Amino acid sequence: MSEMTNRKIGIALAAGSLLATAFMIAGLCFVAIDMAAPAAAEQKPEETGNAADAGSLVPYREAEEIRLLALGDSLTKGTGDATGQGYVRRVADGLSKRYNKPVKLLGNLAINGMTAQELAERLERDEGYQYAVKGANLIVFSIGGNDLFLSAYASLNGRELNEAAIDELAGDLDEALERFKRVVERLNALNPNASVVYMGLYNPFFELEELRGASAKLQDWNRAAYSELFRHPQMLMVPTFDLFEFRVLDYLSSDHFHPNEAGYERIAERMLDSL
Amino acid sequence: MLKLFALTQNEIVKLWLKKRFYVIILILLIIIPIFTYAEHKLAQTNAEHFPDWRNRILQQIADIENTLASDRIPEEWKRGRRIAVQQLQYYLDHDINPSEPSGVQFTREFLGNSVTLFIPMLVLAIGSDIVSGERTGGTIKMLLTRPVKRWKVLLSKLLALALYVSLTIAATVILCYLISGFVFGYGGWSAPVLAGFKIEGSSVDSASVYAVPQWRFLLMQAGLSWYSAMTVAALGLMTSVLLRSTAASMVSMMAAVIAGSILSSMSSAWTTAKYLFSVNLNLSGYLVGTPPPIEGMTLPFSACVLAVWGAAAIGVAFRVFTKGDILN
Repeated sequence: MSEMTNRKIGIALAAGSLLATAFMIAGLCFVAIDMAAPAAAEQKPEETGNAADAGSLVPYREAEEIRLLALGDSLTKGTGDATGQGYVRRVADGLSKRYNKPVKLLGNLAINGMTAQELAERLERDEGYQYAVKGANLIVFSIGGNDLFLSAYASLNGRELNEAAIDELAGDLDEALERFKRVVERLNALNPNASVVYMGLYNPFFELEELRGASAKLQDWNRAAYSELFRHPQMLMVPTFDLFEFRVLDYLSSDHFHPNEAGYERIAERMLDSL
Repeated sequence: MLKLFALTQNEIVKLWLKKRFYVIILILLIIIPIFTYAEHKLAQTNAEHFPDWRNRILQQIADIENTLASDRIPEEWKRGRRIAVQQLQYYLDHDINPSEPSGVQFTREFLGNSVTLFIPMLVLAIGSDIVSGERTGGTIKMLLTRPVKRWKVLLSKLLALALYVSLTIAATVILCYLISGFVFGYGGWSAPVLAGFKIEGSSVDSASVYAVPQWRFLLMQAGLSWYSAMTVAALGLMTSVLLRSTAASMVSMMAAVIAGSILSSMSSAWTTAKYLFSVNLNLSGYLVGTPPPIEGMTLPFSACVLAVWGAAAIGVAFRVFTKGDILN
C-alpha cells in the first residue's frame, strides 16, 4: 500500500474517531448535567392512572374471545400441581373447547401466601391490577385460606392438636370476612360486567381427627362468603369442600395442604360445569 | 506537538493495518444478528401471550413476588427482585412500556449487557499487543532509536488506542441500530426511559426519577461505556508494557475482567471488593437503577474508582516505558 493511501486512511480514521469521541464525551456531559441538577420538573413522568379502559361490556359467553384473569392465593397459582397448570389453565382449555373460541389468559396474578387483606389493598391501590380487572370478562379467584389457616398453621407446628386449635384456626373469621367483602365490592366496582367465579374453601385436615372440626368452621366461611357473592348476579361460588373429604389422599399433594393434579382437575371440572 | 500528531496518526494507521478492527466489525456482524433473532423470538412470544404490555408487566411482577414468597431463595437475591418489582410497578403506574421493541431499545439493551465483558474484550483485542507486539516483532528497537522522546511514543500509542475505543463503541452502537432496526424498526428515538432510581437497601426511592428521551439515554449510556472501556484500555496498555508476551497480557486482563463480573454476580459480602476496577465497569447500570453489586456503590464512586485505576495504570506504564531497559 502506498504512502499516500496510508495518509488518507490515517486522516479519515482520525477524523472519524475524533467525532465518535466527541459524541461519547457529550454523553458523559449529559450524565454530569443530570447528576448535578436532578430531575427538572418538566421531565418528571406524570401519573397517568392508566386512563385507557379496555372496556369489556360484553359477557364472556357472547364476546368474541374470553379474556380470563386469575387472582388470589396459591390455590389459583396452582401450587402442588406438578404440571404447573393449576385449575386456571385447565378452565381456560376447557372453555375454549366448549365455546369454540379463543381464551386469552390475561394473567395469573395469584401469589403464594396472599391474604384477603393484600388482595383488597391491591385492588384498591394498584392501577395495574385495576387495569387488568377492567380488561377481563371472566375472573376466577380464590382467597381466604391464608387468612384462616396461616397464623394457625404456623402456631400449630410442634403443638398438640386439639379442639382449642380449631377455634384458633377460625379465630379471625369475622375480620377475614370483612376483608373478603372489600375484595368482592372492589371487583364489582371495577368491572360489573365481568363474570366472577370464587373457589370455595375446603378442609385439608379432614383426615386428622383432631382437626375435623375445622370443616364446620370452613363451612361458616363458605356460607358467609356466599352471602356476600350472591348480592351480585354476575358472581358465582364453586364449592370444593366435598371433593376433599373422602379422598384427601387422592386429591391432595404431598404437602397435605394444596391439591395435586387430580385435585385441580376436579376443581376445574366443577367450574366448567357451571360456566 | 506536530510530531506527536504525526506519531499518533502513524499509530492509528499501524493499528488499522493490523486488521484488528476488521475482526471486531466481523464479530459484531455475527453476534448482533444472533441477539436480534433471540430478542425477536422473545418479542413474538410476548406478543402472542400478552398483546397488552401492561398485563405482561403485571404477570412479571406476580411471578417475581411468588419467588419472593419462597423461603428457599436467599435474602440477597430477594433484594434485587424487590427492587425490580418496585421499578416495574413504577413503569406501570406511569404507563411507560419499559421494553417497547425498537432498534434504539435493542441497542440500549445490547450496550448495557456488553459493557462488563464484551466491550472490554474488544478493547483488549485491539490494545493488548500495542507495546508487547513491538517487542515480539522486534520493531521496538527501531521505534526507540528514532530521535523521538520515549514518552511521546507511548503517548501516541495511548491516544491512538483511545480513539479506537471510541470507534469500537460507535461501531457497536451503529451496527446494533442498523441490524436490529431491520427487524424492530428504526424508530424509538423519543420513547421515554426512566432514569435516576435511587436504591437504598431493598427499596427504591422514586423521588428523583425522571424521564429522558431514549436518544439521550443512549448517548449517556455510550458515554459511560466509553469511560469504562477507557479504563480497561489504560490497564491493557500497562500490562502490554509490563509483560512481554501479548498472550500473557491479554489473558491476565481478561482474567481480571471476568473475575470482576463473577464477583459482581455473586453480590458478595466481601465489601472491599468494590475497590476492584472490574466490579465497577457497569456504569450505565446505575442509570436504569440496577442494584449495585455491592451495597453502597454509586455512580460517582465507581467513576472515581475507575479514574484512579486508569490514572495509576497510565502512570506505571509511562514510568516503566521511559525508565526501563528495553531488551528483546
